[in-house]
Amino acid sequence: MGKLTYNMRKYWPLYVMALPGTLYFILFKYIPLGGSVIAFQDYSVFKGINGSPWVGFKHFTSLFEYPDFYRVLRNTLVMGFLRVTFMFAVPLILALMINEIRHSLMKKGVQTALYIPHFLSWVIIAGIAFEMTSLSGLVNTVRGWFGLESMLYMQMESYFRPIFVLTGLWKDAGWGTIIYLAALSGINPQLYEAAVVDGASRLKQILYITFPMILPTAAILFLLDIGNFMELGFEQVYNLLTPMTYSVGDIFDTYVFRTGIQQAQYSFATAVGLFQAVVGMVLVIVFNKLSKKYSNGGLW
Amino acid sequence: MMAMSRGEKILQVIIVTTLCLLSIIAIIPVVSVLATSFSSRLPVDMNQVTLWPIGFTFDSWKYMIFRPDLWKSFGITLFTTIIGTILSLLITALMAYPLAKKEFMLGKFLIIAAVITLVLKPPLVPYFLTLREYGLYNNILVLIFPHVLTAFNLIIMRTFFKDFPQELEEAAKVEGCGYFRVFFQLVLPLSKPVLATLGLFYAVVIWNQFQHPVMFIQDPDLFPLQLKIRQFITSESVMPALMAEERPNYNEYTLRATAIIFAITPIIMVYPFIQKYFVKGAMLGAVKD
Repeated sequence: MGKLTYNMRKYWPLYVMALPGTLYFILFKYIPLGGSVIAFQDYSVFKGINGSPWVGFKHFTSLFEYPDFYRVLRNTLVMGFLRVTFMFAVPLILALMINEIRHSLMKKGVQTALYIPHFLSWVIIAGIAFEMTSLSGLVNTVRGWFGLESMLYMQMESYFRPIFVLTGLWKDAGWGTIIYLAALSGINPQLYEAAVVDGASRLKQILYITFPMILPTAAILFLLDIGNFMELGFEQVYNLLTPMTYSVGDIFDTYVFRTGIQQAQYSFATAVGLFQAVVGMVLVIVFNKLSKKYSNGGLW
Repeated sequence: MMAMSRGEKILQVIIVTTLCLLSIIAIIPVVSVLATSFSSRLPVDMNQVTLWPIGFTFDSWKYMIFRPDLWKSFGITLFTTIIGTILSLLITALMAYPLAKKEFMLGKFLIIAAVITLVLKPPLVPYFLTLREYGLYNNILVLIFPHVLTAFNLIIMRTFFKDFPQELEEAAKVEGCGYFRVFFQLVLPLSKPVLATLGLFYAVVIWNQFQHPVMFIQDPDLFPLQLKIRQFITSESVMPALMAEERPNYNEYTLRATAIIFAITPIIMVYPFIQKYFVKGAMLGAVKD
């Protein structure tokens, strides 16, 4: 302790500099995290954390008896699986294709067109999706050309998950290619020259040089992505969801928002959130370990 | 470059065609909404509008552009984005600098404490209750403060400072400069590229944010742009109350389309100038410490 006081006295400006950021982590991360104890209480806003009665695991047991919980868990797992699969495969394939374009202006154009949606908010992306599929929207106009009846896709259970995947790809698939393109540009050109001398066709070069060379990058990204399985993104799902599609689209994030914040079931929703946070944490740690083991890369 | 064989040419054509098609598909939704915003009410109602306006009119735009609530929301978003970005960069850089110094004893402890927040996130409800206790409910500061720092950006910045040439700093210290002067007059001015990149990331997060506003801002007078647009999309409130005899040349679809285009115009306009920083930033994220 004496050492620290000495260090603080000698290098006090460094401690002053770190203060605002440290305060941020305490105020906006650690204190709210500590507030999770209300999951073990019957919390009431008027009594506060100190005055509310402790109820042990009551909310957790009622959670597992609740049919809604399994619906939300299933939706989260299914949509997490869809997201991880598509957001892994599509950017990888896109990057391999973009890398093959020889014409640099065309390459730039394609990249710009595919990157831009990344900077639109989910409100806008969902808004465009609603406009496109409205009765007067482009999709129903095209259906009309073929003599088909108008359909409100956003209100239909069977289309919610495809729309979830498509909007996700539209926003982020292009953006996801950047990391791969960087890895691709780092491949030694002599490898290709040697392959050409040996008579390898372009397709063979992609299969036997390009693809193996970016596999490590892809593996790290894939594992880290699985680690974030539970992070489906409140903003995307909330903005796409309508009451008609709750049964297939309601995930932990939207469920906690509705029960906890809109309906003020504070302790119950905290229990749900804590369950989600702990499962999420275990996933991140496990898959980070795996990615370190297999490819020397990880978050830390 | 060697001459391409026939097979390679075919491959090239297939790839280029596919990518061009995908690019067009990525742009079509925006073009379609743009066309709707400049179209008349009837062609839109009769599903005649596809990718170009029919019955070209500025009526939707004239109506939306004169809505004071839309401009108010725009102003709130612009203000919080500017202030928030500056504050974020300052706080991030200030904390990252000592973390990059060996003589700072708490460095390791603070880095671990920061990384933990990436892994174990506070559940939504206690987060909400705590911030409400701070007085951030219905307060536009909630659009700024929760975003001023992320462990991720902190680590990127720290890595940058670690690679900063020590000789320069040592020389300044020999001249009698303290840490603060070295930081503000030497280190920060030479960190412009990384500041620009991180600043853009902070700015996009604050400009596009939806979760904090929807949780904390109930007062329509304080709605940032995204909440305003969301309100237009989900409710009929986008249409003005009309007298029975009025038949304006817009409807709720053209007005919503206009609101959407209004909200994305600033981003599309600045995008070409900052694309290189974004790409650089996306790559920075890949650099592990």
